[in-house]
Amino acid sequence: MSFVSYAMILAGGLGSRLCILSEKRAKPAVPFGGKYRIIDFSLSNCVNSGIFDVGILTQYRPLSLRDHIGIGRAWDLDRKRGGVELLQPFQGWAETDWYRGTADAIHQNWTRVEEREAEHILVLSGDHVYHMDYRPMIEAHLARGADATVAVTEVPREEARGFGVVELDQDGIVRGFLEKPAAPPSGIISMGVYVFRTSALHAVLREDAELDTAHDFGRNILPALVRGGRVQGFRHEGYWQDIGTLDSYYRANLDLLRPDPPFPLEDLRWPVFTPSTEFPPARIGSRAEVRSSIVTHGSIVNGIVERSVLFPGAVIEEGAVVRGSIVMGETWVGPQAVLDRVILDKRVHVGPRARVGHGTDMTPNRSCPEHLSSGITIVGKETRIPEGATIGRNCRISANLIEEDFPGEAIPSGGVMERELNVAH
Amino acid sequence: MTAIPPVLTLVLAGGKSDALRALGRIRTASALPYGGKYRVIDFTLSNCVHSGLTRIGILTQYAPLSLHGHIGIGRAWDLDRRDGGIRLLQPYVRQRETNWYRGTADALLQNRNVIEDAQARHILVLSGDLVYKMDYAELIRVHEEHDAALTLVTVQAPNEEPERYGFVQADRSGRVTALEEKPKRAGGSVVSAAVYAFRARDLMERLRRPEGGPDLVRDVIQPMIREGAQVMAYPHRGYWRDIGTVDSYYESNMDLVHPLPPLNLYDPDWLIYTPSEDRAPAVVGGEAALSQSLVSHGARVEGEVRRSVLFPGVHVGADSVVEDSIVMHDARIAPGARLYRAIVDKRVAVGQDAVVGRPGPELGPPAPGANRDSDWAGLGLCVVGKGSVIPAGSRIGPNTLIEIGVTERDFPAREIAPGSVIRPGGAARAAVARAAPDRAR
Repeated sequence: MSFVSYAMILAGGLGSRLCILSEKRAKPAVPFGGKYRIIDFSLSNCVNSGIFDVGILTQYRPLSLRDHIGIGRAWDLDRKRGGVELLQPFQGWAETDWYRGTADAIHQNWTRVEEREAEHILVLSGDHVYHMDYRPMIEAHLARGADATVAVTEVPREEARGFGVVELDQDGIVRGFLEKPAAPPSGIISMGVYVFRTSALHAVLREDAELDTAHDFGRNILPALVRGGRVQGFRHEGYWQDIGTLDSYYRANLDLLRPDPPFPLEDLRWPVFTPSTEFPPARIGSRAEVRSSIVTHGSIVNGIVERSVLFPGAVIEEGAVVRGSIVMGETWVGPQAVLDRVILDKRVHVGPRARVGHGTDMTPNRSCPEHLSSGITIVGKETRIPEGATIGRNCRISANLIEEDFPGEAIPSGGVMERELNVAH
Repeated sequence: MTAIPPVLTLVLAGGKSDALRALGRIRTASALPYGGKYRVIDFTLSNCVHSGLTRIGILTQYAPLSLHGHIGIGRAWDLDRRDGGIRLLQPYVRQRETNWYRGTADALLQNRNVIEDAQARHILVLSGDLVYKMDYAELIRVHEEHDAALTLVTVQAPNEEPERYGFVQADRSGRVTALEEKPKRAGGSVVSAAVYAFRARDLMERLRRPEGGPDLVRDVIQPMIREGAQVMAYPHRGYWRDIGTVDSYYESNMDLVHPLPPLNLYDPDWLIYTPSEDRAPAVVGGEAALSQSLVSHGARVEGEVRRSVLFPGVHVGADSVVEDSIVMHDARIAPGARLYRAIVDKRVAVGQDAVVGRPGPELGPPAPGANRDSDWAGLGLCVVGKGSVIPAGSRIGPNTLIEIGVTERDFPAREIAPGSVIRPGGAARAAVARAAPDRAR
């Protein structure tokens, strides 16, 4: 058998650079683009590419992801043969433990691969936004008889520092693989989308398991395979966005609102599937103004919404202004409240006349200046911002705060609010 | 342990509604798209599951494919069950006496084996073409409390078109003394809501009588009342609309975009379920102006939309206007086109700069329940049938009916007079429509 019918999706990552969005959920379960979770893109790519047998490797906070995927019905993956399975670390008689890295996660679940007697498998990441038909890549992999085929894309060279940089020779063979290099030789990077010859992968995984490494696909497995000289690159044309940081998350959401979006959100030939909510259509009120925005079922708009993404059940009351913001499900923005460059997690309550993302002061966040400096203010799940409160830019407001947790005075740009501390600092 | 579930629900969803014109020819009224993402029958089915009624038969006959496709195995309502769930009951061929359903009572009689096998104590008979929210569990409770042979639900009589309703007279105890079907003049203040709770044995006994006829009201309910059976009235106080005509269908949709909608679709305890489509969220462009409207997934709005209902996948081009209109799935409104008071069926294409209907800023949507002229022409609506194409630059007068599958060639001129009918493969005929009091003037 020489076609590829099994995919494993790495979805266990902590995603610490996504700040409080991934505080309570794995990165692939972070809401995206109005009605999706990030993992919907990889899963939909699988089923649209004819792959209906998928294992999802989870470790960090899998409950949100588990609820989202369920039995895989939304992707037509509730099947007798194949389907979708969440592979969480487990205990057994042999040596098993928490996954020590992405490679270890697959190694510990190797029986799943063996059972399928698959000569080749597809390995994907659950935290990328892209449309990709995996079939041409698989065909290229089989045609060349490669040990591994790595999908590559090009980013500006300075941005390549955050990725695995791939050196290709003129035949498309990978000659070098540098994970997060300080000085990238090029902008050609790995997308974290691989086809492996099962036997070659297994050999490297077994070897790596005995070593004291990070057990990471990018750091350890790929370089080891590259040394064997039978790894090729496969260039993916088209949009691909790694949702690694708050800035990239914010940008990828707002990319959808451009007059010329980088990929059509609605492509009937390549639908992105997700479990649907039971909300009625979006209701736009008589005083509402909506421009350059995404609205979803269950959202109710009576205020002004510009360059923003509203998730199901988001309510924008009369006189409120929402600009350049991402408003997640069932969040309420009270009358006359003003949001600018704000990410509100689910079920946040913004009191009337509150101002969030206020002012021109761009002081980076005090506790994580490296991730929160471009002016985005983020508010965690279910927090209730008091009436009339003022919150500056680059602020991090934790989940589950109530009105009484907030100080009487304004929270300046760069501020942090956490329940334990109970004060802005 | 409830060994025998006491209620079997039968939904009548097979009727042909000529008054719905091009909207009703390709589908039974129960399958009409409604409110941006629903079909009308979703209200009845959602009421059932919220009321805990999960044994449901749907009687279909006329143009059922759209309905069958919509219901599937009932998953959207959690009605894909081992016990009970949804069954579609289409007429079938028998060894003897094969017949289409000749009427509502006949449809029930032909399914007597379904009723008997259910061993239900009560049979709830519903209509799939009504828009309302109602707790049937409470109805059944009151029905049992009265030990009634039949409890029929009543609603306040609408102000218009008494000939479409059945007027109910009841005594002080709530016992029904008369039910007068489709009178020329209103015969009282309450009408039947076409929601009936029958004691199963009373219903079966009536249906089986050799002198019985095919109609549920005329041949079962009215004789029961006349012969003194315990028939009780049960008033329903909330929203209730029969959408069996173009005007009533239009008005009920417009009720939803009213600033204070009389029907709340957003009640988390009584959501209306429907199979969801895998469409992307709606995208609103930078130059769009959108107000007082419902917008569904897959819609793309670049133009102006006011007081309108947009179904999934509708595209409204730049510099276009959609006002007081209902636009169904995947219709395309080209840049510069204008729609006023139009009902546009699925996959209609309105060409660039075409004008459909007549603007009436002073007209506004009729207030819910307000009196009006009782003809389709009364509201000045244009209806555009499924898949039709309206040529670029054409001007379509109000009250025009454009049939299903009309192409550009079928338009005799760029200017179409008010009240015209455009048919596929034929020239336009001047409307025979009654001289409509044109309220736009």
